[in-house]
Amino acid sequence: MTSPIETPLSRRSFLKWSGAATAAAAVGGKAPVLYALTPDETKKSFAKPDSRYSVCGMCLNACGLVARVENGVITKLDPNQKFLKSRGMLCARGNAGIQQLYDPDRLKYPLLRKGERGEGKWERISWDQALDLAAAKMTEIAEKYTRCGVMFTPGSDSQSLFVHWFAEVFGSYNVSTHESSCLLSRNRAYLDTFGEVPFADVLHTKYIIVVGANPFEALITPDSIDLMTAKKNGCKIVVLDPRFTKTAGLAHEWHPIRPGTDMAFFLALSHVITSEKLYNETYSQEKLSGIEQLTEHVRQYSPEWAEKECEIPAADIRRIARELAAAAPTAIVYPGRRTSDYVNSTQIRRSMAIVNALLGNWDSPGGLLAARQVGLSGPELPEAPFYDDNPEHRLDKGMAKMMFEEEGAFKHMRDAIISQKPYPVKGWFVYRYNPLQSAANRQKTIEMMKQLDFVVTVDIAMSDTAWMSDLVLPAPSVLERQDPASGLQGSAACACVVARDPVVPALFESRPVFEILKGLAGRMKLTEYFDFTMEEYRKQQFKLLPDADRAIREDGVYYNPSKLYGIYEGKIYKTLSKKIELYNERYAQMGVDPIPVYQSPKPNPVNQFRLVVGRNAYFTHCTTQNNALLNELMPDNSLWIHPVAAKKLDIKDGERVEVTSNAGKGELSVSLNNGIREDTVYMASGFGVLSKGLTRVYGKGACIAELIEDYADDISGNMAMHETFIRVAKKGAL
Amino acid sequence: MNKQLAMVIDSSACIDCKACTLACKVENNVPEGKWRNWVKRSEPDFNKPDWMVHSASFHFQPGGCMHCEVPTCVQACPTGATYKDEKDGAVKVDPKLCIGCGSCIPACPYGARYRHPTRNIVDKCDYCEKRRARGELPACVVTCPTKARVFGDISDPKSDAALLLKKNQSVRVINKESDTKPNMYYLSATAPLNWPVKARMPDPIQLWKMAGPLIWGIVGLNAIGVLIMLGKQILMNDKAPETDESHEETRQS
Repeated sequence: MTSPIETPLSRRSFLKWSGAATAAAAVGGKAPVLYALTPDETKKSFAKPDSRYSVCGMCLNACGLVARVENGVITKLDPNQKFLKSRGMLCARGNAGIQQLYDPDRLKYPLLRKGERGEGKWERISWDQALDLAAAKMTEIAEKYTRCGVMFTPGSDSQSLFVHWFAEVFGSYNVSTHESSCLLSRNRAYLDTFGEVPFADVLHTKYIIVVGANPFEALITPDSIDLMTAKKNGCKIVVLDPRFTKTAGLAHEWHPIRPGTDMAFFLALSHVITSEKLYNETYSQEKLSGIEQLTEHVRQYSPEWAEKECEIPAADIRRIARELAAAAPTAIVYPGRRTSDYVNSTQIRRSMAIVNALLGNWDSPGGLLAARQVGLSGPELPEAPFYDDNPEHRLDKGMAKMMFEEEGAFKHMRDAIISQKPYPVKGWFVYRYNPLQSAANRQKTIEMMKQLDFVVTVDIAMSDTAWMSDLVLPAPSVLERQDPASGLQGSAACACVVARDPVVPALFESRPVFEILKGLAGRMKLTEYFDFTMEEYRKQQFKLLPDADRAIREDGVYYNPSKLYGIYEGKIYKTLSKKIELYNERYAQMGVDPIPVYQSPKPNPVNQFRLVVGRNAYFTHCTTQNNALLNELMPDNSLWIHPVAAKKLDIKDGERVEVTSNAGKGELSVSLNNGIREDTVYMASGFGVLSKGLTRVYGKGACIAELIEDYADDISGNMAMHETFIRVAKKGAL
Repeated sequence: MNKQLAMVIDSSACIDCKACTLACKVENNVPEGKWRNWVKRSEPDFNKPDWMVHSASFHFQPGGCMHCEVPTCVQACPTGATYKDEKDGAVKVDPKLCIGCGSCIPACPYGARYRHPTRNIVDKCDYCEKRRARGELPACVVTCPTKARVFGDISDPKSDAALLLKKNQSVRVINKESDTKPNMYYLSATAPLNWPVKARMPDPIQLWKMAGPLIWGIVGLNAIGVLIMLGKQILMNDKAPETDESHEETRQS
């Protein structure tokens, strides 16, 4: 009676205690007993809790958190109030990080496939067996097909940099990251306008146009929180979206733009701004390149013309252009993040970047900001070996006009693996990446996997990609890991450095990918390239930041008080003209439109709907749908359809429908929704899974990756996920 | 003046991210299917012409137990388990006295109470009493991205909650037939407003019949408990147990 539980909990009891919410519900069979009569051991108080800093890993924002540890168990995650980037908050997903840690669905030990791929028959093997096998298979493929015969796909994770490094020393250029399903076209467009990818000073802005982004649901720190603060401070928010998102619903104006016509809207803004000379003449002379060409080019794109494309009244377009110009340079056309939508998504973002450039919304308060200095050093690593039998280029070389070599383009890589041209790739190392759910056209990913002799996946849970692999290796959650330092850009809030240390020891047999790669390197005569510990690596990263290590221990974060505004004063831009390019000279040289030329999107085929992708605040892409806490917020996905469109198809609210596209099909229920255009439908990602290892979400809803056809942006190779039309019919009517 | 803990909510800052509901769920081990707090919403009138351009609006309204001035749940409780704590003005459930009869559940116009499926008590928001004992804010307040929930002692004019109330016009969301005088204030123009229901009070005789034997049972068991404790103190020279707060959370295994 004197002390709380003193013995450390066994792993078994960890699980029992874990996710108390679900566990409590799962013991329904117990006979009801009055609480007052329950035995005392269930009421014992805990020892004084211990608070430890860490950084959330439920999405890529990396928000600061404080973990409460009681008797070796994390019982609560709270926001780190000193963490400026996340404005001292922790969202629903952050709060559910505890469930990811203690989830019974976690991968626990290495698993080797026994039956057919995807059959779900596994054999538990030891780590030595697993690493021996992976090293042998990868070496075998390297010998037969060269080292480029193994593809590496690191997801967004603070240890992914080691996967990149491993691929380099192993000798494969075939690295394809998550980014080609995300924001590469945005990055391309802003790099080719400002010479770098900017951050938005949302906090201080007075006027913001949000297009194809949804910051109040797809949370980005600090932008999402700053947007509300800015609104409270009088900032006007204008949202263009075919869907009435929560961002649209909290904005001052929502315009349900016709999907795929964003460029028309922004060319028309440029038309009004140039024809009415609403820009700063001196600024344009000093900083911009191509004002004459732009003025001439956009003469054809009047608001009256754009109205026909966007279905937004010309008067509104003209008014918004004038309002935006009046607020500039304390104004932003928000660059957004996921821009994997259309085959010309780079040019669409160029048209947005050009409006920002024209109005000088750049490098000053309330505009777009250049990246701030963080100050981390790149550790000194030995030079990677050269393998002279390797092919000359990466597999997807030349399949997009201006691809990012270090990111690749998954869609193109997959096509090349299927066709085995220009050369065969037969192995695949997957780290926290799940293209079977996140990449358009699931059937094609399955087809690609049929070409592969060996697939190894490292993940926390049995994702669909893990489910279809040959070898599955369990990774710990971020709360159990030691990570390298990461530099974070927090816009006006901060530039900061974080680095995780384990809050609790890794559960089960899980191992961080860093250790896995070290184990593989040791088996492949590559030991010297991974001959360092995480401490040593971090120490090198902190070479120029003597205070960082202490600050991270004391506050959970180190801030670099680096320059925020006016970074480019007196400096040249990293573009061909050395100015901000309205007219891109390199594009002109390469035969790409130097100023975006409008192309109308494909019209909807009769009785078909355009399918759009979008996020909510509970799910990170397709990774958190099976988390018990988040799953309860949305246990299933449904098809958003406008009541008028549904009536034509004789479909009622909640009814089951079959959806088909040229890529695949699915079945789910409909939710009638006035907040979507009549020609557009939407469903949440991450459902309709293949993996029976995701026990809560298996058998629920339809898979959007199954339906989306695989197009790509022709400049960046970014996946184009809004180019698909689908047919919707009552179940059994097709 | 006595302490009066209260929540002052700027619902116009709420983005319906559900951080507060999950933070509460984890902190208080709220079982699946049950919630101690919520976010309600009002949608625009989609039939209004031109609604999308100039009057587009969602309005999200975070809520939870309102810790009322005139709590109908307290009136409905047959055992005194639900009570208004004079020390801080919060409405609390003493799990040792709660018999899980559920009379208080329909007596709350706001649906703030639920019957715990395994603990056999009624549970609801207690402003995170254990956190407050450690000097922390309630879980929902501290986790909120836009800090829409402001918590504090409104009797203390210097508290954030009192200052916010003083600076702004506020409303209380009630059912006119059961005005419980909530200690949850919304900065004006909150929506929706029409959701609280009339408090449904238990029939006193039914209640007595239902609760009577159980209460006698508890009294009897308590007496046995007292004897055992006494015996234990005499026979074993044990150190005094740490005083538990009334809201010790159990964890189900």
